[in-house]
Amino acid sequence: MLTVETFDTLVQAASAMTPQSRYLGGGTLVMRGVNYGDQSFQRIVRVKDRSLREIRSEGGRIVIGAGATMANVMAASETAFLANVARQVGGPAVRNMATVGGNLFAEHPYGDFTTALLALDATVRLSDGSEQPIESFLSSRSSMRGLVASVSVPRPMGDEFRFRKVSRVKPKGVSVMSIAVWLPRQGGRISQARIAFGAMGATPLRAKSAEQALDGVNLDAQGIERALSVATTGLNPTDDSLASAWYRNEVAPVHLRRVLLGEESR
Amino acid sequence: MSSIEFRKDLFADERDDTLKEIGKPTIRQDILGHVTGRSPYFDDHLFDGLLHMRCVRSPHHHARIRSIDTSAADRMPGVRRVIRPEDVPNNLNTLLSLINFGKDDEALLQGKKVAYVGEPVVAIIAETERQARDAVAVVRVDYEVLPHVLDVEEALEPNAPVVSETYPNNTFDYHDLYDHQKLRFGDVDKGFAEADHIVEGRYQMSPIEQAPTETCGAIAAPETNNRFVCYTSTQALFFSLGTTAKLLNMPSSQLHFIGGTVGGGFGGKVDSLHEPLAVLGSKLTGAPVKFTFDRAEEMQVGAPRGAERWFIKDGVMNDGRIVARQFTGFFDSGAYTRLSSYAIIKGTGHLPGPYSIPNVASNVYCVYTNRTPATAMRGFGITGVDFSIECHMDKVAETVRMNPIELRILNSYRDGDMKAHRRLAKNTALIECCQVAAGKAKWPISADAAAQSSLQGGGGDRAIIPETVTDQAGRIGERRRSKIPTAPGEGATSKGRVAAGSSVAPIVAVPPQRDDMVIDPSRTGHRKAGAGPAVPPVQATPQAPPRYTPPTPAAPVQTIPSYTPPPAAPVVQPSQPAPAVQPPAPEPYQPSEPFQKGIKRPGVSRFISGTRRR
Repeated sequence: MLTVETFDTLVQAASAMTPQSRYLGGGTLVMRGVNYGDQSFQRIVRVKDRSLREIRSEGGRIVIGAGATMANVMAASETAFLANVARQVGGPAVRNMATVGGNLFAEHPYGDFTTALLALDATVRLSDGSEQPIESFLSSRSSMRGLVASVSVPRPMGDEFRFRKVSRVKPKGVSVMSIAVWLPRQGGRISQARIAFGAMGATPLRAKSAEQALDGVNLDAQGIERALSVATTGLNPTDDSLASAWYRNEVAPVHLRRVLLGEESR
Repeated sequence: MSSIEFRKDLFADERDDTLKEIGKPTIRQDILGHVTGRSPYFDDHLFDGLLHMRCVRSPHHHARIRSIDTSAADRMPGVRRVIRPEDVPNNLNTLLSLINFGKDDEALLQGKKVAYVGEPVVAIIAETERQARDAVAVVRVDYEVLPHVLDVEEALEPNAPVVSETYPNNTFDYHDLYDHQKLRFGDVDKGFAEADHIVEGRYQMSPIEQAPTETCGAIAAPETNNRFVCYTSTQALFFSLGTTAKLLNMPSSQLHFIGGTVGGGFGGKVDSLHEPLAVLGSKLTGAPVKFTFDRAEEMQVGAPRGAERWFIKDGVMNDGRIVARQFTGFFDSGAYTRLSSYAIIKGTGHLPGPYSIPNVASNVYCVYTNRTPATAMRGFGITGVDFSIECHMDKVAETVRMNPIELRILNSYRDGDMKAHRRLAKNTALIECCQVAAGKAKWPISADAAAQSSLQGGGGDRAIIPETVTDQAGRIGERRRSKIPTAPGEGATSKGRVAAGSSVAPIVAVPPQRDDMVIDPSRTGHRKAGAGPAVPPVQATPQAPPRYTPPTPAAPVQTIPSYTPPPAAPVVQPSQPAPAVQPPAPEPYQPSEPFQKGIKRPGVSRFISGTRRR
């Protein structure tokens, strides 16, 4: 029998978590599991603390509470550069409920917002106050204990940050893949690029070979050629009902090119 | 404004166009309920104390069941009843037994040998769905895994695993004679010998799931007078009712079935799997029981349109005339017979497509494999072979370097032509369709092709049944003993010949017994169909399509006019006496034991259907 436990603070909730518990953020994934007979959990844990929804500037970075919804991200002025990402998650009803914290744990093929956070080198802050880089967080999230309190991201300049979601059904389709890139430039040339792919592995993954291939090049068709040729190195897509791994590998460089050159998708 | 354009001018003299609805925009009768969210689905009926049913399903393609241990499930919280295969009163059925077609081959709950992934073995009824799921998870079934076969042609090998003991040859038995459905018309070998080109092709279609928004399901509850009410998503209410009565060995008068809004059907809701289990559960617990597929079950276990594989071989002249066409078709029925056996009869009647081809032969196999049983889906039996035929027509057009639309017009059937299943073509319109399609697509066709008409050029020699070569290859069980080719005529030790114009074993339609059974043309809007008090005999070689004569109205018919059987034959080779479409000497289903009364429940039902009482 399912039970629901409600706590005042995240710290109390974190101490009550067991392997049989599931934390309820917006419920867009947990309640689907309940409705579809997911037998992997018996207890639902939730927190009443509304401060988890806050989005604020802190130094040079933006801190987004784990309880902030996609709709909150779209509405807040601090996260205007992420509004386009949040808008591509689900439909309006899902965006009103789905939280940033939940997206960090969303399994393939979900987790488009996390892909953007990965490209932005986000930092994840846990309920006990400790922090870790998003990349190491993602690689260990399935065995993680404790709860996420917030994530913080730097504020990218101008059009340095780009995001594109590739889906077959528009506007609400699930990702065939999503691509987030952060392209800081020095003197017109790309320096320290970040490229993250969603739905190209069990978690969002960085395309590090492509990042290195972009270092010091101009952002034009010739400059990105080498990066495109190694775009899928290190990615690990699987077959699912949306697309085969082969297809994903074939089209990933095409979509990456469109993102980098700002071409319209067709 | 409708985007459909009706070209009524093409058949103005054939059709009465004082139609009330067709061709006019109309409001769907159920749209108000749908857009206001008030259409009642089976799941909208609320019952106090509703119990939930889930099935233990086979994880294997093919396995013998050594034992089933439900003791742990019995002790799980909330479990009210565990239904084992032996609890089903008459645990063997085939859907079409209600029309006396095929043998009983499928159990409601399988206790001996599972033959596809997801086959139900045990059903568990609990107070909540989660409790039912948890109890399902602790049932222990000891399986002896058997070799399986997933491909239709591999299933026909002599040493292939036997999917169903009812059909030990892995093929449906047609007419108690052959392991496939034959069609023979003319002499394809002679046609191939005369032809300038032989064009061969292999075409294949995967299973297609109907994927309704509302998954299949039913709620059953005890009613007064030993009856059970059953709200169901079925597309075929009386199929479901009859199937339930048979499986549960109870009179249909004890079953009160209520259908209604179907939340997406497309053929996937005719299999009547939920109603028997829900009613049985209600009978065994004395409480309302809901049994419904979840999404994963709908996709995995819900019967799809079956896979088909077709081999087509055409003999074509340089000018594009197709002089012979041969089919070898395989329908993947899955592990049991649902409707594929019937789809093949339907599909064979459709061959060789809407074309007049003087020599046609076809063997179509209904093959059992260890896959999900296949059932109906819009146009099943026709869709797959039509896809194959039209792909093949393009291939023929490329071979003879001809405009594909002109090729179709050249070979198109016309009014008065004899079709391969020995019926005269009437109301044909392929030529006109091709002409209109070419015009709309701005695809150039020759003046000659543009001048053709379905109303002209048919009949005459084209209305005669040619001398037909027959064979008796592929008798039931033969393929099990040795490998024999599957194509028509191959592997036959001897061949017979049936003289031209002959068609043995006509379908004898029963003439209307009462004058109120005669179809009133004003109701159908079609003057030709059933215009007289009896079915008019078809002319063997009409020189022109019969013209319409208005029926004499009123005057009740005093004597039934004598009926002359038309020279039309069913889709069997003519030397065989058994007609194909209607099996001979139908014996109605008779239970081995007399019907028994259901459980006794005096007084008024505690369950009020349709409304929430609180």
